[in-house]
Amino acid sequence: MSSKLISVIAVLLAFIAFESGREVRGENWPGWRGPNRNGVTSDTGVPTTWSPTENVLWKMPLPGIGTSNPVVWSDKVFVTASEGRDQGELHVICFDRDTGRERWHQRLWGTAPTLFYGRSGMASPSPVTDGKRLFAFFGTGDVFCFDLDGGLLWQRAIAEEYGPFENRFAAASSPLLFEDKLIVQCDHYGASYVIALDQQTGANRWKSDRPEVWLSWSSPQLVPSGDRIELVLSGSEKLDGYDPRTGSRLWTLRGLARECVPTPLFGHGMLFVVSGPNGTHFAIKPGGSGDITDSHVVWKNDRGSSFVPSAILVGERYYLADDKGIGSCLDAHTGKLVWRKRFGDKFTASPVAADGKLFFTNEAGSTLVLDATQAAYEELARNDFGEEVYASPAISQGRFFLRTAKNLVCVGKK
Amino acid sequence: MKWIVGCLMLVGLGGLVPPDDPGPHLAVIAKTGPQGEGSVAANVARDQLAKRGVEVLPELLAAMDTSNAVAANWYRTVYEEIVARELARDGTKWPVEFFKEYVSDAKRVGRPRRLVLGLLDKLEPAFREGWIPTRLDDAEFRYEAVGLALAAGDRALKDKDQTAAKAEFRKAFEAARDSTQVTQAAAKLKSLGESADVVQHLGLVTEWWLVGPFDAPQKTGFAKVFEPEGKVDLQAKYLGQGGTEIAWNRHHESDTLGQLDLNKQLDTTREAVGYAYSEIDVSREQAAQVRCGADDNCSVWLNGEKVFGRDQWLNGTRFDRFVTPIQLKAGRNTLLVKVCQGPQHKDPEVPNNWSLQLRLCDEQGRGIEFKPALP
Repeated sequence: MSSKLISVIAVLLAFIAFESGREVRGENWPGWRGPNRNGVTSDTGVPTTWSPTENVLWKMPLPGIGTSNPVVWSDKVFVTASEGRDQGELHVICFDRDTGRERWHQRLWGTAPTLFYGRSGMASPSPVTDGKRLFAFFGTGDVFCFDLDGGLLWQRAIAEEYGPFENRFAAASSPLLFEDKLIVQCDHYGASYVIALDQQTGANRWKSDRPEVWLSWSSPQLVPSGDRIELVLSGSEKLDGYDPRTGSRLWTLRGLARECVPTPLFGHGMLFVVSGPNGTHFAIKPGGSGDITDSHVVWKNDRGSSFVPSAILVGERYYLADDKGIGSCLDAHTGKLVWRKRFGDKFTASPVAADGKLFFTNEAGSTLVLDATQAAYEELARNDFGEEVYASPAISQGRFFLRTAKNLVCVGKK
Repeated sequence: MKWIVGCLMLVGLGGLVPPDDPGPHLAVIAKTGPQGEGSVAANVARDQLAKRGVEVLPELLAAMDTSNAVAANWYRTVYEEIVARELARDGTKWPVEFFKEYVSDAKRVGRPRRLVLGLLDKLEPAFREGWIPTRLDDAEFRYEAVGLALAAGDRALKDKDQTAAKAEFRKAFEAARDSTQVTQAAAKLKSLGESADVVQHLGLVTEWWLVGPFDAPQKTGFAKVFEPEGKVDLQAKYLGQGGTEIAWNRHHESDTLGQLDLNKQLDTTREAVGYAYSEIDVSREQAAQVRCGADDNCSVWLNGEKVFGRDQWLNGTRFDRFVTPIQLKAGRNTLLVKVCQGPQHKDPEVPNNWSLQLRLCDEQGRGIEFKPALP
């Protein structure tokens, strides 16, 4: 073998080694609240402590505002944002997981900017990816589909097709992927509906009107129930179960509060539902048909409901951090209080969990790390980053991705 | 798929158009629309266009002057790619004069003009400062221009030049269409002893006859028809909520932005309906808009014809929340507005508002000239 050939092979091997090093080293965080849409990942190796000067791998400035969570797939991190006087300038940005370098950045116009919340603009909904395409929904009533190199594949201006969104804080629901469909919950003061779009073309697969619903910023959830999958939507004093293949309504549970923001969770065969402000939170059995209010409630609790942050279920325990900074741990099976603590400051971000640890990030940018392996309250760390945080974090491949009001921060062991 | 569409497009376009003509590609993108229609072909056309240099920008920007929101974004991805590439290299001959003409053409769609202004900020940084103050009549840039006039007025005041300050605030007031800027400019003028009629400027209707509350249990009020919807008789008396007799009352609203508080004017109540009636005179037939907001909801009749109604509840009165095109006739026009009040929310802390705000204006938000004509 010639020395030239050996050199070529050596270079190729080095390249392959480098590229494989860039491949996924743990779980992805493909959309709102991670791989299982519940804030929990099987990922390991995330640092327990960090600060502006400790365990920060990179930090990149973000344009405008937004509270969508970062989405991580393999070596790419995706973030959405909006800016402008009416927040009609939309951004979809892809960063390199390892260096933070901006790989691509699409700037687009939103069709129908609405009233908005000053921290989130039109970028409350988190994007979602299947590893081939990235789907981004904005409060302007636009859905965009990109390939992972940033090429636009299709756009739906659903606000133009079905009317602009009408609510105080712009649409905030994060879409989900089911089979070959992208499902978007569109609840607002105008004509509410839930719609399933073809992932390949963007065309409607089904659309189900929700005329009785006027208010929700909650995101849809998929839950198994017997031999079927149910699509669960929380909005305007009730919870609805749908068939995600057809959009037909299966059941309704009444008793939620007027404004629904948190995303329902599933675990132990139960669906955990929070609404607010100061609403009741429920554990229910999904399934059934018609009105299941009197037949499917396992337990309910009137205290500790969060208004904006979603709850989290780890093992046998169920955790909430309300907007005023009061944390609660309940027995998931009974709803009985295990402990209640003042976490400090307010919460907008939803908690996340990995490796037996819970991470609660408050609006001041301090992340409280708790031991989730034991029933007693056990604080492992409080990591102050010194920047305001309203977006839920992401955990992927041993790293903690923190979206502050101004920056995207990658925390990891150096 | 994309590859096949690309080949088909090349075959289809081959021999028909010169290779440098971006027109066919732009036309392909123009066909995108609802339901993701035309996306595959648009993707191919986009890639072709994005290979071009700045010479394609005039035609591209002309195409971006479209009301097709989907096509506009496809075009924008081309624009962004070309501009980013050309900004990164030296020696690009940018069509700066075309950009200035484009950005100054107020008849074009605002968003691509704003995009081009952002590019001019890079190519000719001094342009914006001198140009924005000239845009007082430009719907896209009016807000910034009025903001500069207000700031200039403040500076003049600081320099104790009241004459210059009055001139700047007057300029701002006349040009402003945003309600906050209108009220700001009016307040500045009034503080200097000048007159400024916000109600007239915005076309707010403040002269009303009011009647209510009619009984409408739960949320039945929107659909339930009460006597005033059949005939407005200002002398009539009706059976109101709780069996009381109710009658029309003349009301002048003195709120700065014309917001009626029906809890004060009719009754602090729930599950009810109230009506507001007005008459105005306009000098000529004209297209206009009725812009309104109500808590809990409202329906509007113009000259006896229903022009707006939205069955929504607990939504708050917001300025210009609903915009409906109307046609005013020369002479007398009548306005009847129904305002519903729903049940009290189960949370007693949720305010039990019952209110209405309504104005008549042109497409840009300047109030229609009218004379209140109520008896």
